[in-house]
Amino acid sequence: MSTVASAVPAIELRGLIKDFSVGLRGVKLRAVDDLSLRVPAGQVFGLLGPNGSGKSTTIKIILGLLEPTAGGCRVFGLPSTQVEARVDVGYLPESPYFYRHLSGRELVRFYARICGLGGAKVAPRVAEVIDWVGLTEAADRLVGTYSKGMLQRIGLAQALVHDPRLVILDEPTSGVDPVGAAAISELILQLKAQGKTVLITSHLLTQIEEICDRVAILDRGRLILEGAVCDLVGRAERQALIVEKLSPSELQELRGWLGLRGRTLEAVTAPRARLDQIFLERVGRGEAKNPEGGG
Amino acid sequence: MSRVHFSLIRVLLIARNTLLEASRQKLFSFLLLLALGLVGGAQSFREFNFGASELKFLADLGYGAMAFFGAALTITATAQLFFSEIENRTALTLLAKPVWRAEFMLGKYLGVVAVTAVFCALMTVLLVAVLWSRESALLRDIPDSFTQGRTLRIADLLLAGYLQWLKLTVLAAFTLLVASFSRTQLFTVVTGFFVLVICHLQYLARDAYAQGGSTFAQVAAGFVGLLFPNFQLFNFADDVGAGIPVAWDRVARVSVYALGHVAAACGLAVFSFRKREI
Amino acid sequence: MWRRHAGSRSSVFANVKSRLLAIFVTLGGLALTGAGLRWMEAPLWAALRAEQPALRLGSAGAAAGQGVTLGLLGGFRAIVADFTWLRLHVIWEQRDLAATDTLLRLVTTIDPRPLYFWVNGARIIAFDMTAWRIAEAGGHEVLPAVQRDRLGAEQARLAIRLLEEAMTFHPGNAALWIERANIELNRLRDGEAAAESYRKAWEQPGAPTYAARLHAELLRRLGRKAEALVWLTRLHPQLPPEEEGTELVLSRIRDLERELAVPVMQTYRPAASVPPGRSAGESRK
Ligand SMILES: Nc1ncnc2c1ncn2[C@@H]1O[C@H](COP(=O)(O)OP(=O)(O)O)[C@@H](O)[C@H]1O
Ligand SMILES: [Mg+2]
Repeated sequence: MSTVASAVPAIELRGLIKDFSVGLRGVKLRAVDDLSLRVPAGQVFGLLGPNGSGKSTTIKIILGLLEPTAGGCRVFGLPSTQVEARVDVGYLPESPYFYRHLSGRELVRFYARICGLGGAKVAPRVAEVIDWVGLTEAADRLVGTYSKGMLQRIGLAQALVHDPRLVILDEPTSGVDPVGAAAISELILQLKAQGKTVLITSHLLTQIEEICDRVAILDRGRLILEGAVCDLVGRAERQALIVEKLSPSELQELRGWLGLRGRTLEAVTAPRARLDQIFLERVGRGEAKNPEGGG
Repeated sequence: MSRVHFSLIRVLLIARNTLLEASRQKLFSFLLLLALGLVGGAQSFREFNFGASELKFLADLGYGAMAFFGAALTITATAQLFFSEIENRTALTLLAKPVWRAEFMLGKYLGVVAVTAVFCALMTVLLVAVLWSRESALLRDIPDSFTQGRTLRIADLLLAGYLQWLKLTVLAAFTLLVASFSRTQLFTVVTGFFVLVICHLQYLARDAYAQGGSTFAQVAAGFVGLLFPNFQLFNFADDVGAGIPVAWDRVARVSVYALGHVAAACGLAVFSFRKREI
Repeated sequence: MWRRHAGSRSSVFANVKSRLLAIFVTLGGLALTGAGLRWMEAPLWAALRAEQPALRLGSAGAAAGQGVTLGLLGGFRAIVADFTWLRLHVIWEQRDLAATDTLLRLVTTIDPRPLYFWVNGARIIAFDMTAWRIAEAGGHEVLPAVQRDRLGAEQARLAIRLLEEAMTFHPGNAALWIERANIELNRLRDGEAAAESYRKAWEQPGAPTYAARLHAELLRRLGRKAEALVWLTRLHPQLPPEEEGTELVLSRIRDLERELAVPVMQTYRPAASVPPGRSAGESRK
């Protein structure tokens, strides 16, 4: 164990293998195949891949909910099989279900107390995270009556209530409408601003690319690609300019201007607005929360 | 990083949540039906004109209902409350917190035990009330049968309720043990009922063991006698109906016996749940 | 600290091995617990078995059919007995002697603990069944007294046999002796036996005073007046003062003294009355 906390990666996987025995005769299915990964502290890390590629399985191993068939996993330097490894971790499961018999506030308070929060600090902290995920109005309704987006948000609240250093979100935006998804993206960026490490998974590869610092892409349990997002998708030597429509003569002029500087205009296209962005603009909530909107 | 110690507070939090779930799922609403049945039964017994013995019949009926419905409630509640966590994947969220699996299992167990305690307590209080009011009426109508005053001993009636509950705590522990390795709720419920029957019958296997037979049969019978607790021991609760005072040393003995089996079954349930894939 | 790669084949074996281990640990743990708790259970179990012969399956179960057997197995002994008694009650109203008799045996075998079954059973045998048999043989008018008495005596003996069986389950129970005395007196017209039974009843803990009084009364009727007087003078100091029964005993003593012409100097003198606070603990009730 290192004494310098920042030097310890938030998550470290080495040669992780997970086999499930399926069927009566113990036929094996390899869900995670020799996966090695480091999630540095303080970053937003995206674990991407199609359905069934082993993302959730990996996360369950990180949380000690499953035992790896081989290989090892450490969280802040502690083996994930130890209870101690989960002290500083918040987890939002995939398509979460929570105790339907509790109200949102009771639910978050229950998890807060489970995590060791006690006394007079609990109620204000619970109210704070509920407010933060925007559920204050629905806080005293039974969880059984919540919509899918509300479930994701109350799940986020319970994951954050004990102020963990590492937040693991399994498909937080799947099945959520664009407004909700944008809000969740916004929350994740805020978490990053607070210096937390976020591990987030998605089967929609483009959806979270905008908020991730690093991504890893899995396919059938194998690591296909891993690296910083800007290295993988960004092309530093190229740029796109978006301007009002130019007339053919103006376009010709621009070409000449570029030609004088030894550059060429490679493509001229009309940018198509994304439907979700149009939706966000129409409902008037998108501007502030959409990470693209401001830039 | 500091160690996370086993915490009774977390156990109690989980237990309380389990009890809350049971009550908000209206698991207790059928209690009302039972209560009505008991009061109705109390009315119909009057027609037989048993005199003072009517109280015995009432007490037997009450405790019989408690034993029967209590066992059904215990098995189904244990299975339901355990598998609702697994199937609704709430266990996923809970066990991803710094929670020991032992804390989870014990919390579930104590929650179920609290459910059965509420059941037994309410039934006992109701039964005592019915018996008391009937005795008062009989005391007025046929004072000759009560030359020595009231025959009901409240303490014994409460003790009988306690013994009923004690048996259910053992049953709950064994059902939880089954649930800890079982894949489905249905399997757990069915096996739980088998366990209930075997626990009542294990003494027959032991008799067979004592009487001899083929070596194999003897060993098997002896083993069955060891594996399952003897539920007939708890039935001296219905001595109360027969007017026999409950002996305290017996109560103490049975309590230790039950506690031993509960500890073993819970410990093994924790052991088998320890590595379960959630 | 890192785990080494395990081959996929060995992981399957590891899986099977851990399954086997879990089964082994579970069975072993339960068996050890059972064995470890035997010393706690054994004495209790032995005592319970002695009190409940129906736990020895076979006799009761076979006679009663599957419902009863299942009930017994499930631990619902008292309820099964109660419902058998209800059945008996119905049959009794139909005056079916054979069936009533069978059910009576059954009830007391299923659950010998309630006195109610024994005492009422004895009464049914001694009184009701006698009446049924007389009615069957033609009724009071037709049947000569000798025959009626013979039937009564037969039934009385059967009832007394039932009470004797009851006493093996309830040793030291006054109510059973009183019931026996009652049958001996009213059915067998055997004053000697009844007097003896009342004496036995009085010897049991918690016996009512009238058992002792009736013992003396029967002695007097049998002409053993001196004996009766001695009995009563010994009885009187044991009774709590200021109770109806105690007064009655004293007046009986005076009657007997008069009948036996006891000299005034030798008449019974009750001890100076004991302060009520101490009397409760010292005297019998
Ligand atoms: N408990 C399990 N038993 C058997 N197979 C499983 C189990 N959990 C997951 N799998 C299989 O493992 C593979 C990876 O699943 P998962 O990790 O859920 O994928 P993802 O989260 O990337 O969609 C899938 O093929 C899935 O069917
Ligand atoms: Mg998944």
